[in-house]
Amino acid sequence: MRVTPHRHSLRCARGGLLAAALTAIVSAGAAPDAQPAAVTVSAAVSLTDALTAVAERYGNEARGSVRFNFGASNTLARQIVNGAPADIFVSADEAQMDVVAAAGLLKDGTRFDLLTNQLAVVVPNDRPRTFKSVREIADPAFKRIAIGDPAAVPSGVYARQYLQQEGLWDAIAARVVPTSSVRAALAAVESGAADAAIVYRTDARVALRATVAWVVSADRGPRIRYPAAILKSADAAAAQRFLDYLRSDAAARIFERFGFARAAAPAAR
Amino acid sequence: MDLWRITWFTVLCAVAATLLVLPPAVVVAWLLARRRFPGRALVETIISLPLVMPPVATGLILLMLFGRRGAIGRLLERIGVDVVFTWKAVVLAMAIMGLPLLVRTARAGFEQVNERYEAVAATLGASPARIFLTISLPLAWPSVLGGAVLAFARALGEFGATIVVAGSIPGATRTLSVAIYTYAETGRDTQALALLLVSTAIAFAALFAANRLVERRAA
Repeated sequence: MRVTPHRHSLRCARGGLLAAALTAIVSAGAAPDAQPAAVTVSAAVSLTDALTAVAERYGNEARGSVRFNFGASNTLARQIVNGAPADIFVSADEAQMDVVAAAGLLKDGTRFDLLTNQLAVVVPNDRPRTFKSVREIADPAFKRIAIGDPAAVPSGVYARQYLQQEGLWDAIAARVVPTSSVRAALAAVESGAADAAIVYRTDARVALRATVAWVVSADRGPRIRYPAAILKSADAAAAQRFLDYLRSDAAARIFERFGFARAAAPAAR
Repeated sequence: MDLWRITWFTVLCAVAATLLVLPPAVVVAWLLARRRFPGRALVETIISLPLVMPPVATGLILLMLFGRRGAIGRLLERIGVDVVFTWKAVVLAMAIMGLPLLVRTARAGFEQVNERYEAVAATLGASPARIFLTISLPLAWPSVLGGAVLAFARALGEFGATIVVAGSIPGATRTLSVAIYTYAETGRDTQALALLLVSTAIAFAALFAANRLVERRAA
């Protein structure tokens, strides 16, 4: 019988915990009413470091808070089309922004090209190389070449387009390791699992264990554009504020520090 | 057709993984059931780890061990064996993830074997190995088999560790679950759905068989 009160108190404690947890959940849900809601940005994973830095500054200037969902643009586009909550979408290619546009989810007139980028070939830094020509990627020493899945991941789509144009795709197609995102391709080289990867020049910059073997010049390579737009479901005013900030000179300086270039003519569509 | 090639490859790898872990798992299960040895609790815990750890973390550990920069991978590279991003990595990931299920189920089977039979055999002069092979193992066999089917079913569905250590290379390392993920990610919904149906059917059959085997043992 001595067990019973103990059990009872345990149950009470559990009940109390549950109640506390529920209160916490409920109040967490209610909290956004008290202070301005954070803007949720679904952005291409290649922008991880640069956008995080921009948002940090945005927060430090007390302009508002930003939450990110970084991923391969094709993944993000599918999430948004399937109803994932987001206020702003920044894609690494036009095609994935078109997917969201085709679903009628973009706020009219808010789409514009934010940034440009270039492709680069990276190799593990314990086997550094510098290409004289991109043809060197066909070297049999590269047994596995990681690129974003060329079926949809923007970096992979760009990479295939570029290598096809250079007449090299068929030579390496069998050695391609398709990855779920550009950062996964970079990670494959950094872990030593792949011998080379085609990523963005900006990814190579934040790499710790990979070095650049070749940078695809802007005039020879594919036209890489990062379109940004506000989604229809967004808290329009807050989203517009952050989007405007992304186009500011302060943001541009941060983007440039990470190797991105501002898209020349910010043509709104 | 892609669908059947992927299915066949996945089943083959899962069979290979199950056969690979079956002998060591049976021995370990029997040791855990019948012997008291130092570090027993530790062995038990380590073997069960893949059951509760995030599969991606398990995959990462395998990648760190078997990658070109890893402790085991470096040795294997010297003898010209590549594991990461090959079918061997698929089998490895599947084997590690299936191991705990096999060991735990087989161990329960060995524990249910009446110790008197083993004791009687011992008094009649049978060696431990002979007792194991002619008494313990045959009596625990349905559980061992049930555990093997469970491990096989788990191997079929393995995703987290596989995607990390083997990737998703079409025609080389792409298994059912990885293909479903890749197809869904890249907008090929029809293919994803077809593979989903196939994997559901196989998993259903495997689990059904495992349950029947374990039930028959219990009855």
